[in-house]
Amino acid sequence: MGDEAKTIARGLQRRDPDLLDRLIEQYQYRLFRYLVYISGNKERAEDFFQETWIRVLERGHQYNGKSKFEAWLFAIARNLVIDWQRSKKAQSLDTLTDPEQEHPLQLADENDPSPLRQVLSHETEENVQASLQKIPAIYREVLVLRFQEELQIDEMAGVLSIPLSTVKSRLYRGLEALRGALQGGAV
Amino acid sequence: MKSTDIAHERALQLIAQARVDGMSDTDRNWLRAHLEECDFCVEHARRTDRALRLLRTAPISLPAGLASRTQFRVRLRAQELREREPKRRALWLACGMSWIFGVASAPYVWSLFQWLGQRTGVPKLVWEVGFGLWWSIPALFAVAVLLMESSRKGEQADWINQGS
Repeated sequence: MGDEAKTIARGLQRRDPDLLDRLIEQYQYRLFRYLVYISGNKERAEDFFQETWIRVLERGHQYNGKSKFEAWLFAIARNLVIDWQRSKKAQSLDTLTDPEQEHPLQLADENDPSPLRQVLSHETEENVQASLQKIPAIYREVLVLRFQEELQIDEMAGVLSIPLSTVKSRLYRGLEALRGALQGGAV
Repeated sequence: MKSTDIAHERALQLIAQARVDGMSDTDRNWLRAHLEECDFCVEHARRTDRALRLLRTAPISLPAGLASRTQFRVRLRAQELREREPKRRALWLACGMSWIFGVASAPYVWSLFQWLGQRTGVPKLVWEVGFGLWWSIPALFAVAVLLMESSRKGEQADWINQGS
């Protein structure tokens, strides 16, 4: 990994406030977008955003600079969302959202006016977003990590704590779902 | 299954694979040749690319002041951690010193307990238990302090979660 990651690791070890300020600025859009997609709620995503950076401060010494900083950052953010989901529903994010499970549930319920649909309806590309939120959360998540954040498959496996083969199969299904959703949404 | 169906299926699979995972030169050449004569698969590839383009460019507006509010909270927390650091260091230092002292003095204290037991006529089991307590009480005290510390952290986390 590059010098940048090593510099970040050293700064996080020292809890360097200037470095943290810079990282918050630098990653604010990407982290917030990721959190909106996985939590399905903009207000909640704001809270997760702040909490993620608090955790980065507290657990910065665990980042060794051998992997991309954003992969570590997204893993922290994801774990926060999962913890919150567990505390709310006593189930994991995967259980809640994996359509292969017996009782699949969506993080962003299509019938619920408050989550992602409501959030995204204010955006300029309303139709695109409305189509995206039809995609099950676990597929939406891999699509976001791969095609928006441009993480490598192995980095995604690290963030999601799942095998490479599962990442790939979710990506294939996600791609299919995305194409279907956008076609269905007549975008 | 017809050979054209098999070719379509392979092409659709390769179109996805190219975007997810990349593909070999052989597959690329085969797909290129197939796309030159198959409008259906060309359309499929076009739709896939369009879907990905829309995903990549889908905007999400950032709440105003999110970064500055976060920076403020992070700085406050950093200050709090810095203030707590000397206390924590002192606690660990005290634990370490007490452990070293305990190990070094154990044979003497054992002899002392033995002597006291003989002098007072207390059964052997009693002064052995006394020695055990003398040894374990500081460790139990340290565990209690650490538990209190972690429960305080838990309360703080709850407070943060309530705010979210």
